[in-house]
Amino acid sequence: MNTFQGAPKEKKLTDTAIADSTAQKKTLKDLSIGEAAHIVDFFKENDAVKKIEAMGLRRGKRITIIQKLGRGIVVKISNSRIVITSDVAKNIEVE
Amino acid sequence: MTKSIKVALAGNPNVGKTTLLNHAAKTNLKVGNWAGVTVEKKEGFVSYRGYDIHFIDLPGIYTLEPISEDEWIAYNFIADEKPDVVVNVIETTNAERDLLLTTELLEFERPMIIALNMSDEAKKLGIEVDAEHVGELLDVPVIRTNGRNGDGVEEMLDKIVESAERPRYPRAPKYEEQLETLLDRIQTEGRDGRNDSGAHHDKLTKRALIKMLVDSDGRYEEKVRLEKLYKKGIDGIIKDERYAFARGLFDETFRKRKSRNRDITDKIDKIALHPILGFFVFLLVIFLLFKISFDFSTPFMNWTEGFIDNLLAPLALSLLSHVGAGKWLPQFFSQAIVGGVGFVITFVPLIGMIYFLLALLEMSGYMPRIAFVMDRFTHKLGLHGKGMIPLLLGFGCNVPAVMATRTLENRRDKFLVMAMIPFMSCPARLVVFSFFAVLFFPHPAVVIFGLYLLGIVIGLLTAFVLRKTAYRGKLSHFVMELPPYRVPRIRTVFQITWVQVKSFLYRAGTLIFAASVVIWVLLNTPPNLKNQSDSAAAYVGKAITPVLAPIGIKDWRISTSLIPAFLAREIVLSSMGTIYSVDIQQKTTEFHFVPALETQLNGLGEATKESLMSLLTPKIQTLQTEGGDQNLQNVIRSSFTPASALSFMIFLLLYTSCLATVAVMAREGGKKFALLFLAYSFVMAWGVAFVVYQVGSLI
Ligand SMILES: Nc1nc2c(ncn2[C@@H]2O[C@H](COP(=O)(O)OP(=O)(O)OP(=O)(O)O)[C@@H](O)[C@H]2O)c(=O)[nH]1
Ligand SMILES: [Mg+2]
Repeated sequence: MNTFQGAPKEKKLTDTAIADSTAQKKTLKDLSIGEAAHIVDFFKENDAVKKIEAMGLRRGKRITIIQKLGRGIVVKISNSRIVITSDVAKNIEVE
Repeated sequence: MTKSIKVALAGNPNVGKTTLLNHAAKTNLKVGNWAGVTVEKKEGFVSYRGYDIHFIDLPGIYTLEPISEDEWIAYNFIADEKPDVVVNVIETTNAERDLLLTTELLEFERPMIIALNMSDEAKKLGIEVDAEHVGELLDVPVIRTNGRNGDGVEEMLDKIVESAERPRYPRAPKYEEQLETLLDRIQTEGRDGRNDSGAHHDKLTKRALIKMLVDSDGRYEEKVRLEKLYKKGIDGIIKDERYAFARGLFDETFRKRKSRNRDITDKIDKIALHPILGFFVFLLVIFLLFKISFDFSTPFMNWTEGFIDNLLAPLALSLLSHVGAGKWLPQFFSQAIVGGVGFVITFVPLIGMIYFLLALLEMSGYMPRIAFVMDRFTHKLGLHGKGMIPLLLGFGCNVPAVMATRTLENRRDKFLVMAMIPFMSCPARLVVFSFFAVLFFPHPAVVIFGLYLLGIVIGLLTAFVLRKTAYRGKLSHFVMELPPYRVPRIRTVFQITWVQVKSFLYRAGTLIFAASVVIWVLLNTPPNLKNQSDSAAAYVGKAITPVLAPIGIKDWRISTSLIPAFLAREIVLSSMGTIYSVDIQQKTTEFHFVPALETQLNGLGEATKESLMSLLTPKIQTLQTEGGDQNLQNVIRSSFTPASALSFMIFLLLYTSCLATVAVMAREGGKKFALLFLAYSFVMAWGVAFVVYQVGSLI
């Protein structure tokens, strides 16, 4: 299922590389309730990201945060509302 | 000779696929306003213009890259079963999102029809779509539909027939130029090589070409060049191209006007999703659910009981005596049929009311919001956010709830939730509780509520322990759609309720009837007994009494009743009804049909009035009306103490005494899992009941 598993070394490398570069980048997790932003990019390409992209959270789309509660975040995107958890939200770069 | 057409309904979750099928084929399939209602292939048949149209309703999917089980079911059908036509249902208000799946479906290059559903909501939101233009661009018939009133469904059937008569193959989506050149090259090579393309001509479909390209490793240097150029893998490039195509199609054909209609969903969500208020909304909803289902149904239950006891039963008995039936038949009739089956049927108003309210809840769109509001508590106990939905469904019936775990992406989460569901109390249990709680406790509503809570606590405890042992690991993330609130269509709600009530009545006429007959026969074996406690039925019950005595069940009549209750819990009542009615002196009053009927009709009016009035009081009055079958209640009362009644209810709550649930657990989780769980639930039920009975007896 997971095609990345074959190359653990490479993966680790990119992960740390991302960790450095994300230091200043704003993620969806950082947004507060009522705030709106555009999706710039995704830091990872895993199943969760594939799914939320298919659900409408795509690059360049404008999103609004409706509510945050615990690890859950309700995101509004055009006419739909999606709940994602913060561990997914931290992989979404916004501006 | 009629020809048959195989039609698949495909689309994103919650776009109205099942609703359209229900209109087209007059089926009563389950619909609901949340993503993931349909989790298996469902079918519907229509004869139309000389064709047999065979519809297959599929679970919703966002993309043809399946992860969870329900998505795999939809994917496999589309990819392998080659339906004659695919009807791609799109939620017009969310078309940009939905068009990704459309793009992927177009790659199959098979006959397709696009149904732009929810046209009513699109209109309200000021979303305009040039359907003709979509059709021209894709070379696909495009129709507008409205699942609320069935508009456009006939046109959909027309297009399906047309497509069967003159298959029309859609234009495959066009992607980036270099990618297209590469795909063309694979096409030419493929034509020289093999010929099992699956396309209508001997060309490979775009889908097949892409698969070959992705699987080709380093065979094409153009691929390597493309990957270098875009700095990502070929599958990433293709994915982006699909999104770009969908976006382009959307921009070209959809317009949004300014609309004055403000979105009511955002307003309601301000409260319903609020960290504090949201919690109270949830409590209020639960309270109303209990209050209305109890108070509204009680007068009707009393009426049904009177209707059976004072009209139907005497009528049948007097008919029997007219035709000169002997001694056995009337006895069998009043004990097994009236005492057993009739007793259970008395509870139909309660069952109907609960299902009605649950259907309202499911159609409103509030359900997934409960999962969001409660996640901050439940995730600490190891429960996956989306796993809340199957649990909530469990309060309606454990069987579909277990099926609904198919929507969970992670196997561990799935098993965990499956091990919790049977502790969620279903209406069959409520029926038993409502009878016993009223009989033995001054505040039955509190007792019943407590039992529901106990089930939930045991479920959470089970999850917690499993998380620490068998299903260890970090709690996985979740993503879940929150649908817009929709005003439920009352007809649909009635339809859903009726499906449930019908299945309850069906069970009464088959399983419960059969169990009552068997019990009655065993009670009268050997024949002409003086004392029932020498019968075969008593013998069986006494054999298992040693196991049940420590939890307070010492009477063989109860232990005997518990055995057939493994088929379905409400059978415990019908069995008791049959066994105990033997002890009741039959009244031999004169029966006159017309006055009896009049009394019943008047009673129905009274019951209706009483039901409506009860809704005006804020308190739960719960089943506290006098009347009813005092005789039966009295004899049953003599077999229990409050402590043993409570322990009995707890035992029935926790023990998975339901064949259908065990069977579906075996199907979804394996035989071993189902049997292990059954044993666990028995031990748990016995243990808790034991403690409660022993402590209760001291007080
Ligand atoms: N306003 C409006 N509501 C609709 C329409 N069609 C369906 N609905 C509602 O949308 C919700 C979803 O309908 P379903 O038929 O269950 O959707 P589905 O596509 O089968 O959903 P899944 O089985 O979960 O994939 C229900 O509440 C329907 O009543 C429509 O045209 N207009
Ligand atoms: Mg459906």
